[in-house]
Amino acid sequence: MIVANYLAAFALFTLGLLVVLGRRNLLKIVMGLSLMESSTYLLLVSLAYRHGSTAPVYSGRKPGTTESGLAHGNVADPVLQNFCLTAIVIGVAVSAVFLAVVVRIAQHYRSIDADDVRELRG
Amino acid sequence: MNADLLPLPVVFPLGGAMLAPVLARAHRRLPLIVGMVALAGSLVVLGYAVPSVLGGSGSVIAHFFSNARPVHGAALGVAFAADPFGLCLALLTAGLGLLLLLSLLSEFGGLGHREIGGLACLFQLLLAAVIAAALTADTVDLFVWFEVAALSSYGLTGFFLERPIALEAAFKNLVLTSMAGFLLFVGAAMLYTRSGALNLGQLQHVLPASPPRIELIAIALMTAGLCTKAGLIPFHAWLPDAHTPVPGAVSALFSALMVDIGILGVTRLSLQVVPQLPSLRDLLTVLGMVSAVVGALFALLQDDLKRLLAWDTVSQVGIVVVGMATRTADGVAGAVYHLVNHGLFKALLFLCAGAVVHATGLTNLSELGGLARRRPVLTVCFTVGSASIAGVPPLNGYASLGLIHSSLEEQPVLYGAAVVAQVLTVAALARAAYLAFYRHRDEDYEDLERPHTGMLISLFTLVAGCIAFGVLADPFVRHLAGPAAAGLLAPGRYAAGVLTGTHDLAALPVEFSYGDPATIFPALGELAAGLLLAAWVVRAGAPAWTATLRRIHTGSVNDYAGFAAIGLAVVGYVLAR
Repeated sequence: MIVANYLAAFALFTLGLLVVLGRRNLLKIVMGLSLMESSTYLLLVSLAYRHGSTAPVYSGRKPGTTESGLAHGNVADPVLQNFCLTAIVIGVAVSAVFLAVVVRIAQHYRSIDADDVRELRG
Repeated sequence: MNADLLPLPVVFPLGGAMLAPVLARAHRRLPLIVGMVALAGSLVVLGYAVPSVLGGSGSVIAHFFSNARPVHGAALGVAFAADPFGLCLALLTAGLGLLLLLSLLSEFGGLGHREIGGLACLFQLLLAAVIAAALTADTVDLFVWFEVAALSSYGLTGFFLERPIALEAAFKNLVLTSMAGFLLFVGAAMLYTRSGALNLGQLQHVLPASPPRIELIAIALMTAGLCTKAGLIPFHAWLPDAHTPVPGAVSALFSALMVDIGILGVTRLSLQVVPQLPSLRDLLTVLGMVSAVVGALFALLQDDLKRLLAWDTVSQVGIVVVGMATRTADGVAGAVYHLVNHGLFKALLFLCAGAVVHATGLTNLSELGGLARRRPVLTVCFTVGSASIAGVPPLNGYASLGLIHSSLEEQPVLYGAAVVAQVLTVAALARAAYLAFYRHRDEDYEDLERPHTGMLISLFTLVAGCIAFGVLADPFVRHLAGPAAAGLLAPGRYAAGVLTGTHDLAALPVEFSYGDPATIFPALGELAAGLLLAAWVVRAGAPAWTATLRRIHTGSVNDYAGFAAIGLAVVGYVLAR
């Protein structure tokens, strides 16, 4: 099941990369990058999954209980979930900057085709 | 010194960045004063750490946030560690940042209060990020400061929104750097999942002698992300574009300091985290050498003065990375020293270029000329900067390049490539200096503005720095670059330092002697060859095949992302093969 997550994350990343490489519309490039970012969210959450382990922070346990008995089920690593939240926050901030730049480009160039926005070259 | 003061050099500019937009409402001069005070504060705290970190044979001191000290070699929180290498870069950042901020805000003192507050805020955020990246000993913390630097660089690139090329550059910078940021993050997270470690020292302990493939892929992702920030070919495409439309002081900040985050990251990764991987060393050598040669070649072909200097940054970063990848005392010490020197002379050259653009309103070498008679002070400054890069003794580039070249002597192919890169660099800078300054120009400029006092102070200080770091090469190499190389080449001691709070380094003898014929004759030969090449290019124009080469660099953001994707594939293949 978790393998499916990794494959989905890889597929999302590849799709995003193909959009960034193949589409000239700047908005679509931004959407492609968002797709790549969402693949990292999926990957981070999937990496956090710990099969048959206990919550990492606790102090001692009652006599007669076992470590695996403490956590009824599977636990996720909170550090990686935290990373996922960080990634989402950064992704939102970057998307906002991206869209602001695209809006200004559209105002100045009257076009959002990447081929019209290539004065700097060589 | 007490290591618990180590966060302060980052806190001061962050505080200054928060205060600047607020205080700018009261008076337009206040952001400048706040910024100067904040950076001077950072400089003082860092200077206070010098005796304990650089004294003797050098040592590593570490601060653990929220006092979460490592338990049984497992880090529980983020650590800030000052090793000689990180401290050198942090000192350089605070010092240069002070000069650049002075120059920037005196040049743009006439802007409205909102603009000047925003400019000072972004500038200090970027400086805080570079200082923090130099001091952090944690992979994800490095990513956080990478992103802080990236976000403020987007703002600075697109700051002058009335210039359409600024928007274009901001967009390309955004696409490539945000891809790089996520690669770095995913790489760090994968390493954490496999090894349970974020701390660099702990990672070095837990990674096995021949890491499994997933760890190698994670390292490849991190390397690709950091190489983008460093501007190594083929990840470099954002760099020349981002430097072209911004004010001189901002280009200087990008070139002299921001790319250091990437260099520092790959250096720490390859020398202090996985020193057992020869494939990473070979990969960085090849990427660095290709960047050194191709960057210098493109610099020779440029017409825009700032773009020329930006391409030269690609070349210099390449040489520094090659030096780091030699993993020899001479090479690493030379690379550390060259990184500091590059900060000094590239900041000087970009400030000169900015002053030329500001005064004349022209950016193209083909339209400039005759500034030697009209602006003698700027001409002297630009010439000193160019001569430093060109390795004219006794200026600073001569010493650091001499060390790097001498470490390559046993590998004839690399040595040859380094010599070619240096000849091309000399030619590029000589051509720029001739066309902009020394060439005769009949018609007068329409209105030639005078440089501001703040800018002149910065220029003179940088000129003095270039000369001092060259004349006093021997003490600097022995007391600065030597301990830095000792820390980089002794990963076990660095790891012990960041996991226990303090650890001494073993002395590493690095010496540089001025009159060594093995250094001085190649340097003079490269100078002569470079000058001849420059004369030929100025007279006969660039050969036709170079136009084909430049056409590959299409300017389309899709192609730039494609270069980076190819680079990622190559890095992944070489490391995880």
